[in-house]
Formats: sequence, C-alpha cells, structure tokens
Amino acid sequence: MTRRVVVTGLGGVCATGANVPEFWENLKAGKCGIDKRTYSAGEGLDITLPVAPVDNFETRAAELGRDMTRADRFTQFAIAAADEAVADSGIDLASGLGARTAAIIGTGIGGQAAMDAAYIGMLRHGRRPHPLSILKTIPNAAASHVSIRYGARGPAFAISSACASGAHAIGVCAEFIRSGVADAGIAGASEAVLTFGALEAWKAMHIVSDELCRPFSKNRKGLVIGEGAGVLVLEEYEAAKARGAKIYAELVGFGMNADGKDMINPDVNGAAGAMRIALETVKIDDPSAVYINAHGTGTLMNDPTETKAIRDVFGADADKLVVSSTKSMHGHLLGAAGGIEAIASILALKNGVVPPTVNYDEPDPACDLDYAPNEAKERKIDVAISNSFAFGGLNAVLAFKRV
Amino acid sequence: MAEMEAALLEIIKNHAVGLTGPLTRETPVSDLGIDSFAVVEIIYEVEEKLHVEVPFNANENPFGEMKSVGDLIDALEKLAKPA
Repeated sequence: MTRRVVVTGLGGVCATGANVPEFWENLKAGKCGIDKRTYSAGEGLDITLPVAPVDNFETRAAELGRDMTRADRFTQFAIAAADEAVADSGIDLASGLGARTAAIIGTGIGGQAAMDAAYIGMLRHGRRPHPLSILKTIPNAAASHVSIRYGARGPAFAISSACASGAHAIGVCAEFIRSGVADAGIAGASEAVLTFGALEAWKAMHIVSDELCRPFSKNRKGLVIGEGAGVLVLEEYEAAKARGAKIYAELVGFGMNADGKDMINPDVNGAAGAMRIALETVKIDDPSAVYINAHGTGTLMNDPTETKAIRDVFGADADKLVVSSTKSMHGHLLGAAGGIEAIASILALKNGVVPPTVNYDEPDPACDLDYAPNEAKERKIDVAISNSFAFGGLNAVLAFKRV
Repeated sequence: MAEMEAALLEIIKNHAVGLTGPLTRETPVSDLGIDSFAVVEIIYEVEEKLHVEVPFNANENPFGEMKSVGDLIDALEKLAKPA
C-alpha cells in the first residue's frame, strides 16, 4: 500500500509576517515588505539596498531560550518557525514518534552573520573568533537545533541547493515518509544573509533590484533579498488521521532534477521537466483550478523562462491556470524561499484565495500568463504547485492537493 | 585585583545556568551548571575582556584541582601577575 504524506503544521517568519496567520493576512492584502536598509561592517563599510527584512526579531530571539543565544540568526529563524509549526500540528514527539521523525532544514548559506562577525573581528579589530563561530556557522546548525529541541531523532541534516533548498528539504522529507524511512518530519528552510558582506556579493552579480521586486512585469529590475524561515510538519496520512490531526493538504507530488547546463542561466527544459515529474501522478480535472506559486524572482531571465516552462507543461491549459509570485511581497528568501512559498501555496489551496503578484505595472510579451496582478482573488484551487529553480540549475517542485 | 575578581564573577554569572543563590568565592564549581562548552566561552571572555591568556585544552579536565569559584579567581590572578 502506498503511504501518503500530509501537512499538519505550518510555521513561518519573514518580512511580511512574524507568524503564519499574519503572513497569510498580509499575502491576501498584497502588503509589500520591501524597504531600503543600510547594513554596516564598521566605518567606511556600508551598503544601502532595498531588502525584505524581518524587523525587531532580536527581542523574539532572546525569548527562544538559552540555546538560541548560542545560535546564528538563520537558526533562530528556523526555531521560531519550527516552534510555530510543531505547536500548530499538535504532534507529540515524546511518545516514541521522535525516533521516527526527520528534521530536514535547508539553507543556501548557513550562519552568514556569525562568519561575518568572526572575520570583521579578526581583520578590523584584531580579535580572535568567538569559540561558537563554527557551531553557529555550519549549515546544519538549524537542522541540529530542531532535532535537539523536539527530540526528532530520525534522519536529520541540511539540504543546500541555493534557492531550491526549502523545496528540496520538504520533498526529500516527504519521500522518507512515503518510503517508510520515517513516519513524520519537521522540514523546511531558513536563510539570514542580510549582512554587509553578503549584500555586496549579491550586488556584484548585477541582478539585484535597486527599487521594488516586480515579477513578470515588463519594468522588473531584479530580485530583492529577503530573510526568514518556513517550516512544515509532515506526517504519514493514516497516522495523522488516527490521531485526529488537522490536515492542511496532501503533498501529492515532488519533482526534482538538474538542468546540467549552466551556473546562472535558467533552462526551460529543466524547469518544465521538474514540474512534469511533480505532476506525474497528479490528476488535474480542471486546469482553471491550478495555482502555481512561481519561482518568479523578478529577474530578466527567470520570469520568461519560467513562463515558457509552464506553457511547455500545460499547453493550451496554461491560459486557464493562475500563477503568482509572492516574492513581490516577502522578497526572495533564497534557501528559505521554498519553505515560505510552500506555506503560501498550501494556504491558497486551503482558503481558495490566490495571493497576488504585487508591484506589477506593465505586461511583458515574454510573460503572458495570468499572474494575479496586484490584487488577491478568490478562486477554487484543486492543485497548488510551488516552483523553486536554483542557481546552478537545480530544480525542485512541490504539488499539494486537499485530502 | 578586586576589579578582576568582580569582572570574573560577572562573566561566570552569565553562564552559570545552574546557580540558584548568590555567586561567591565559596560557591562550588559543580553548582554552577556550566557545561564543557560554557567553560570555553568563559575562557574566551576572560581573554578578550580581561586580557589574560589562559593556557587551556578542552580535551583535558578544565578545572584540575579547582573546586570553588575562589580557586578560579586565585588561578586567574596568578595568570595575570606579570612574570
């Protein structure tokens, strides 16, 4: 008998929400969390860019317990999100389930702020690195802290596939549950790279917007870096049903592949292929009830490529479905994008509301789908698809349905 | 030296999660609730804030014969004395 995987808990933090209910309200309202901020590494080392920051998180982090005073911001985000997801699910990991529960938390970079602090201390102030520098920086720190905090003692590790890390983490965790390697999982991703050094490095790529993020709009100027985390609790369906869990959605499809071509240029075939794999076993009765939460970075290259890939997969039905990029509001959470966007997709499915693509000004002939411009719309959704396409040509696509 | 004692007590206090009463010279080290990593953090702070180098290898018993907070203070003051 095939084991099915369902989502029973949601937790998230990003520029447009300190928790999932606030995040969802702001998505529906089309609230944009992008603002100009200055990040400094000391005198003469400042950078000012539009970003999508999580404000006032330090106060909350201080309340997350002593272990979190010894953790980098990306781990604190992951724990804030995981606390919410685990509480939301009502799952009891102390009952023996802990040994069969996975903790898979992706990240593109890991403890950027801790690493920056160590280097700034050494190079500018002649200080030795703090002894916690390594434990704060390692990309598995978030996965390890999640495992320790909840006693999740099944498979635990970080997945790092740049902007697809979150979707890979959730998809791989679901595969573990489906195949019987685990019975439950805490899966998602976290990112916190709003530092002077990281932003200078991003700026050097010349793909970062100097104003807003305008996915699929002709006047788009690039991506806007965000931060935060998105974490799901996944469970085997029969077990979740037996304990009377609230079930948000079933993860019905997961497609992953690689372009195998280029570090930066996206590829229609790779993106389309990943969507096809995710939808292989998904029955779509009504194409107008399909919602795609696009990768939609707002870069010159991604948006038309993703549009072509959607057309390639859906053919004439592509004109019936609806697409949106919530990155226009919460920014690009990089490794955590697949985590927070899985939550947006699931809530769109559950509530029958398509969150909009905001900051959309002008149609682009190369981006010719329905992108739900600027205003949320009510709509029956049967299948929600979350696309993540990473630098390095790594693709991961998640598909959700109601149970 | 009183300054150094006060500074060390302050550093230890921030890591002594097991401490229930006041922190004094007489407090046994075993009552502080500090794990092996907290020892590493304390030594780092001593070196950075008090500018005293502490020869130390975390693979060895960090406290040796030192049983009380007073023993730690005495050891630190000995290290701080110019040769």
